[in-house]
Amino acid sequence: MSDLASRITAPEASAAPNLDMGDVETAQTDGAGMIGNGSGLQEVNYDVEVSLNELQRDRSNPLGSAHTFEELGLPGEVLQGLMAMQFQKPSKVQEKALPLMLANPPQNMIAQSQSGTGKTAAFVTTTLSRVDFSQPTQPQALILAPSRELARQIQGVVQTIGQFCASLVVAAAVPGAVARDTRIEASVVCGTPGTVMDLIRRRQFDVSQLKVLVIDEADNMLDQQGLGDQCARVKQMLPPTVQILLFSATFPDGVVKYAEKFAPNANQIKLKVQELTVRGISQMFMDCPDESQKYAILCQLYGLMQIGSSIIFVKTRESANEIMKRMVADGHKVTALHGAFEGGERDALIDEFRSGRTKVLITTNVLARGIDVSSVSMVINYDVPMKGPGEREPDPETYLHRIGRTGRFGRVGVSITFIYDKKSFDFLQQIAEKYQIDLIRLVPDDWDTTEKEVQRVIKSSRAQSGFNPSAK
Amino acid sequence: MAGSSPVRHRQTPSRPSPVRSPDSSYRSEDRNGEMNHLEALLAAQILHDDVRKRAYKTLADHEYEEEQKKRAEREQEIKDQQRREEERLRHEKKLRDEEERLRALQAQTVPKLPPQPKPSPQSTTVAPSNGDAAAATQPAAAKPTPTPDTSSSGPAAQDPSKNPFQAEPPKTNGHVSSAAPPNTTSSPFARPATSQPANPSAAATAPEPAAQAPAQIQPTRPPAVPVVDDYVQIHKNLKKLRALMTEHAKSNPQLKKQMGEMRREIRKSLGQLTGGKGANKKQLESIKTILMSALHSQPSSPMTDPSSFVVGNREPVEGALNNEPQLPSLFLYLMNQLGKAIINQFINECGASPRSADPVGVVTAQLFSAKEFLWRGQSLIDILMAKFRIVCPVVFGYRGSDKTNQGRLRLGWKKEGDAWISEQQHNDRMMGLGIGYASIALRDFSKSSNINPWPPSRYWKSMADIVNTPPDEMTDTQCIVLKSMLNQHEEKFINFYGSAAVAALRRALVEFPNSAPKKTPGVMGLQVLAVMCKRDMGLDLGL
Repeated sequence: MSDLASRITAPEASAAPNLDMGDVETAQTDGAGMIGNGSGLQEVNYDVEVSLNELQRDRSNPLGSAHTFEELGLPGEVLQGLMAMQFQKPSKVQEKALPLMLANPPQNMIAQSQSGTGKTAAFVTTTLSRVDFSQPTQPQALILAPSRELARQIQGVVQTIGQFCASLVVAAAVPGAVARDTRIEASVVCGTPGTVMDLIRRRQFDVSQLKVLVIDEADNMLDQQGLGDQCARVKQMLPPTVQILLFSATFPDGVVKYAEKFAPNANQIKLKVQELTVRGISQMFMDCPDESQKYAILCQLYGLMQIGSSIIFVKTRESANEIMKRMVADGHKVTALHGAFEGGERDALIDEFRSGRTKVLITTNVLARGIDVSSVSMVINYDVPMKGPGEREPDPETYLHRIGRTGRFGRVGVSITFIYDKKSFDFLQQIAEKYQIDLIRLVPDDWDTTEKEVQRVIKSSRAQSGFNPSAK
Repeated sequence: MAGSSPVRHRQTPSRPSPVRSPDSSYRSEDRNGEMNHLEALLAAQILHDDVRKRAYKTLADHEYEEEQKKRAEREQEIKDQQRREEERLRHEKKLRDEEERLRALQAQTVPKLPPQPKPSPQSTTVAPSNGDAAAATQPAAAKPTPTPDTSSSGPAAQDPSKNPFQAEPPKTNGHVSSAAPPNTTSSPFARPATSQPANPSAAATAPEPAAQAPAQIQPTRPPAVPVVDDYVQIHKNLKKLRALMTEHAKSNPQLKKQMGEMRREIRKSLGQLTGGKGANKKQLESIKTILMSALHSQPSSPMTDPSSFVVGNREPVEGALNNEPQLPSLFLYLMNQLGKAIINQFINECGASPRSADPVGVVTAQLFSAKEFLWRGQSLIDILMAKFRIVCPVVFGYRGSDKTNQGRLRLGWKKEGDAWISEQQHNDRMMGLGIGYASIALRDFSKSSNINPWPPSRYWKSMADIVNTPPDEMTDTQCIVLKSMLNQHEEKFINFYGSAAVAALRRALVEFPNSAPKKTPGVMGLQVLAVMCKRDMGLDLGL
């Protein structure tokens, strides 16, 4: 393990992360040495950068990083909740972020980390540790997310980690969930910015005792005109002492500046840029001879590897419905979720998939962000993600968020993007170039060969996933 | 007093009336004389006394009789009581014996190395789990093999309610040690002879060939060793079979095409399984159809002797469907692929989503118990278990340090390339495999006409193997496997084993973690599960 000081970089330095792979290799070799000796087998930390605010830097005793949850001094109930969820030890982001977020006096935090690394658990743990459970109906923490699905998902995580907190009440402030004239009587509130703003204005939501504000998928929230404004207005109505925590998988430069204003004097935690391509996910593309054969090829994919749940992203509702029909006939249990469904209907559909009653989710873009169904082992881009007017240019961010739905928490994940002509190939190529992804080509000619190739790719990308110190 | 009546009176006593001549006395001159009177008086006196005496005697007789009767009654009563007492005693003694046998069974099952489905004594162990499988029936199956000496001090000293499992000597992982450098015996976990007399060899014979290590370490239990090797050997044989099939396929395009399609169809069907009644009919049928077709040589494949893929020898059984000495190799190959798919489904899906294990367990039990897929009347589940033995040795009683290379090999810690997979990935696999194991081993066959291929006694044994690890040799891997094989299966376990199960749960979730020298996340996970048992099921294990 490198010493603490070497892992901490000044804020200026962190602006230009080191793209050289050399660091990684050195670190990995270090770790491997220990294995060779058969002694310590600790994992190596080389990919998390921490920059501290002035308050934290001035301290004679710099931040610790917690290797176990017990070291964090969490309330017993919260610790039990983490143990019940099979959390064995803090993830890399958690071990850096939690001591900073839990420190007193509370400090703001901007944390960026790839999908499935435990961001949600980190801010939920912090939130629960700050709540005074003797006032179960007094709102004390507010968690904002860009969509109702995500808000409800976070609500579920709060309830799970807080399952041993006897008087915990969690409310969802999403469209249609809170009747007019009723007050929110919960200690933790998860919601979408618009609804929360309305509730505060109508005095249904008493924010006077709020201690924590969390914004998940912060890049998306602060970036988009509407959501950003709503977040800012919500924040203005909160007590000035509130601790602000911003979390996201990506923080484009423009958003970072805004985020720093939004959460002044925050500690920052970042991953190096190239880590963002979601290591551990085997990324492939299927070279289809023409568009009409995509469906038959899609069905074959389920025989190539052992799939838990899977998500298929498509462009239109019509193709979502059509694929669903054909897959059901093939014995799959399928949920199709797209813009035609609203509110409660959407909740029911996503629950159906989340609970495992269906194992294939076919969806348009609504779900790309943040939704965590941990058993998803394959993501299929039935169409290359596009953006802009007329959807004429490829959308790398969406690609990244989509494939981030699989391979959660170091599990095996596979993503396969379908192309069928020069245009779709070129678009995918642009995305791959942007993230320097080495996409593996699959062909649907000989399934024995394709199967072998897929198995090989899964193995090798896990080996290089960077979660392990490699001996090379 | 004078009068006519005393006269007659006077006469009668002297002589009994029938004897005395009525004429003589009646006509006698002095029949009213004093003499006669006195004589009669005396006779009456005598008679009176006689009667009185007899009355007394009768009374005495009666009293005696009464007394006799009473005594007899009392005697009877006492006898009854005695009988009752004796009965009670006998009953208690029987209970005690049963208990002793239970302990003996536990002691006996524990030290045995990986399951040995075939030997005849085992078949009795199978029985209880097929039926109602109450705890009481379990001990009855205990007799066949004598209690190994390791436990001789155990049963007497230990209260069964406190420790339902017996202590057991450490084991080494046969599979691993054969792959690892030969210093197995001197490795840290072979050394600590904390409680067991069984591993004295460590220092003495360090440079022995690795293959001998297990035998050295468990000199008291010779039958255990072959079983270890059996599963590892089966696993090797299966690999050979796979390579062989690839060769066959090269020269037989029809076989190649269908083999791949069948393999992928099995994989797909298994991946489609979900919870809910009747949800998996289509998938089960599809897999059965494929296996049947392979069994009926469509497409045809060379014949192979299945005995290299099962533990023990099998003789033809009357009435069994597949009695031939050889079966189509494609069928065995696909059973192997099925096993692989099951394990992979546990690994890839069930760590993240434990509830998806149950449908896989149901289908596994159905397929491996189906009469049409038995060979010589017994399941081919050894094919699946050989894989389990490799990927999750912990359920077969192996342990090792997670801080050393060899220890990790023993624990089934996977390597990718030259590097260990991360702790998180490893834990994730173990969680999936733990619950997967439970979903196979805790199936209720009481309403099925088939024989449970992997009955709950296996589950009990696996649990015992883990819980009996000396606290200082316990690793989080074992804690995680233990927790995930218990979590969500507490009720089923209790249904099979009753109060013995509760005692076992107490041991696993309270006493065992309490004795751990360090409160690691794995240990705490067990403790939290005890809290959850109380909260969710009202099962107070006495925290």
